[in-house]
Amino acid sequence: MSPVLRIATNELRVLARARVAQLAIALVVALSAVAALTAITQGQESQEIRSRFQAQADREFDGQPARHPHRMVHYGHFVFRPLPALAGFDPGVDAFTGSTLFLEGHRQNSANFGDVRQSSLLVRFGQLTPAFVIQALGPLVLIFLGFGAIARERDSGLLRLHFAQGVRAGQVVLGKAAALSVVAGLILAPALIALAWLTVFAGAVPAAALMLAAGYAAYLLVWVLATTSISALAPSSRTALASLVAAWALSAILAPRLATDIALLAAPQPTRLETDIAIQRDLKKIGDSHNPDDPYFTAFRASVLKTYGVARVEDLPVNYRGLIAMEGERLTSALFETYAERQFADQKRQSGLALALGGVSPTLAVRSLSMAASGTDLEGHRRFLRQAEAYRYAIVQRLNRLQAERLTYSDDSNRNSDPEAGRRVRIDPGAWRQTPDFVYRPASTAESLAASTPGLLLLGAWLALAGGLAWAASRRLERAGS
Amino acid sequence: MQCYIIVDRALAAGEQTDMPDPSSAPPAIEIRDLCVNRGGAAVLKTLQLTVNPGEVYALLGGNGAGKSTTLAVLMGFVRPVSGSARVTGLNTASEPEAVRRRIGYLPETVALYETLSAYENIAYFLGLSGVRPTRADMDAALDAAGLQTEARTRRTAGFSKGMRQKVAIAMALLREVPVLLLDEPTTGLDPVATADFNRLVGGLRARGAAILMVTHDLLGAADCADRIGVLARGGIVEEAPARDGLDLLALHRRFGEAAAG
Repeated sequence: MSPVLRIATNELRVLARARVAQLAIALVVALSAVAALTAITQGQESQEIRSRFQAQADREFDGQPARHPHRMVHYGHFVFRPLPALAGFDPGVDAFTGSTLFLEGHRQNSANFGDVRQSSLLVRFGQLTPAFVIQALGPLVLIFLGFGAIARERDSGLLRLHFAQGVRAGQVVLGKAAALSVVAGLILAPALIALAWLTVFAGAVPAAALMLAAGYAAYLLVWVLATTSISALAPSSRTALASLVAAWALSAILAPRLATDIALLAAPQPTRLETDIAIQRDLKKIGDSHNPDDPYFTAFRASVLKTYGVARVEDLPVNYRGLIAMEGERLTSALFETYAERQFADQKRQSGLALALGGVSPTLAVRSLSMAASGTDLEGHRRFLRQAEAYRYAIVQRLNRLQAERLTYSDDSNRNSDPEAGRRVRIDPGAWRQTPDFVYRPASTAESLAASTPGLLLLGAWLALAGGLAWAASRRLERAGS
Repeated sequence: MQCYIIVDRALAAGEQTDMPDPSSAPPAIEIRDLCVNRGGAAVLKTLQLTVNPGEVYALLGGNGAGKSTTLAVLMGFVRPVSGSARVTGLNTASEPEAVRRRIGYLPETVALYETLSAYENIAYFLGLSGVRPTRADMDAALDAAGLQTEARTRRTAGFSKGMRQKVAIAMALLREVPVLLLDEPTTGLDPVATADFNRLVGGLRARGAAILMVTHDLLGAADCADRIGVLARGGIVEEAPARDGLDLLALHRRFGEAAAG
């Protein structure tokens, strides 16, 4: 057996016999296992609820009685974002952004029913997910078990006894790191089992699951190497513990919050109220279709009449009110789109900045990779909003087209004064059933991998840095002779 | 003395051991004009020291005289500014790992893994130096070191300093190293344990081991050493054979003067 393997085996034996270490390992593995189990069961449950509600919303829309199409535009429709298969592993921004949208004409609503909004405040402090356990608790346990691996042995004289057997400092550092890697493996194991389960039984993309496994393994390895190196470099075990706990607090607790604040400061976004006021102001500028003197809609009417070669809207072969509704929807949607894209661009800048700050914290790097691979990052939310908006526009315009093509201008204008006209403008409910259902298209494997790559590269850089630190610690230990 | 039986058996079988032939081997420890700086100050200036195989050398000195630094240089942990230190002919600065494989080191307080038994500690540390002792080998060495049988399977957490030293001596016996470095070995031991320890040192000397013991216990040194050197002002200021008739009182007085100034 090589000295490295012998040192690693002995370190594990010593850990296995220390009651505090037994307790810490048992606790974190149990937490990891519970989190993994929760990821599997809650994911399934949540997906079933969403599917059931989506089916119910579809049924209710399809089951509406004969109505004026514009009533259906305002009746609206609920769409639910299907839960990504790996969302249970890392819920990412989903808990905050919500995953349900109410779609209706002339409006672009925000997503609702995020877990944070509809749960107790405790949810804000972190759900027990595999991502949370590995990102925050895993490193803490590694620090707790590894800070004294070398420092305490130097304090007691055991390290010199190792060197007295002809062992090199590098072999000690490697052996201790190998033992701590086994502990990291134990912390990671339940999460890996959950990933395998989600891939085989819940349809998670294997490449994304592999990316998560590789990312989290690299993340824990960074902490293993950092813990062992600091233990070798610190003048005493107490200093090693203090330094490592400070590094953990900075990386796992402070940096993620600071990164968000820095990103918000560097790329500020207007508030919801400011955006709403700006949209209303712009909407007024577009014009008022009910005002006969409105310059835009006067020009629009002239253009329609010219296209159809008639002099009055009453002579059009289609319902002019439907055309107006279509044009109005086109204009407002384009405006909403402009604001939404501006907001997406701001958010993208913020995300980019937060990712760049991953250079100061491996937790930020793994968080970025984790959310991207799990499909619960902001990009995933934007994908849902874009698809939902495209769907909203399509069904609203479909209903407006029904109004334009199946209703006469005369009936539509007199529907409130003439009961017969009011009856005729009600369209057969079969039209609602023909409206296509919302089908969410998740990110492709290539998109998912591309989104995860920056985080993985950052983690690779952290791993190289931690490896360099371990090498430097070995050199220094060699020179210092314990 | 089953430990000697182990060694004798190896010698009878013609197996090579690290133990040199005292008559023809070079000095086991040879320090020439050693100058060492620590913390910006010269701790050793012109240290000259030789310990031959089968000899016990007691290096006396006051606090800060450079006794532990001398041991650190011999183990290759500290590089000298000038001069050289050799162990069985190997330069400690250029071949520290090879040197350490030829040295048995007994610190003032022997550190052991407290959750492991004496057997497990011995097997682990010897395994690191490539030695694979059987349980019988370990029992023989522990018998020679004098550790009670019932203590060998117990965790070492409750071991006294003397018991720890016995485990460390057993390791040195099993490694069959030609050189032993003892750092304040009898400090804190009661008279019975000290006598036991001195007896063990005598046994190791009989096997041909070169033993360098740093201490400030003059009486203990006189009891088991062949030569006594007084380290002060960066070098040996007095050296005397510890034979019968050595005027310990006079030496003690001079040691005190040297340490003081």
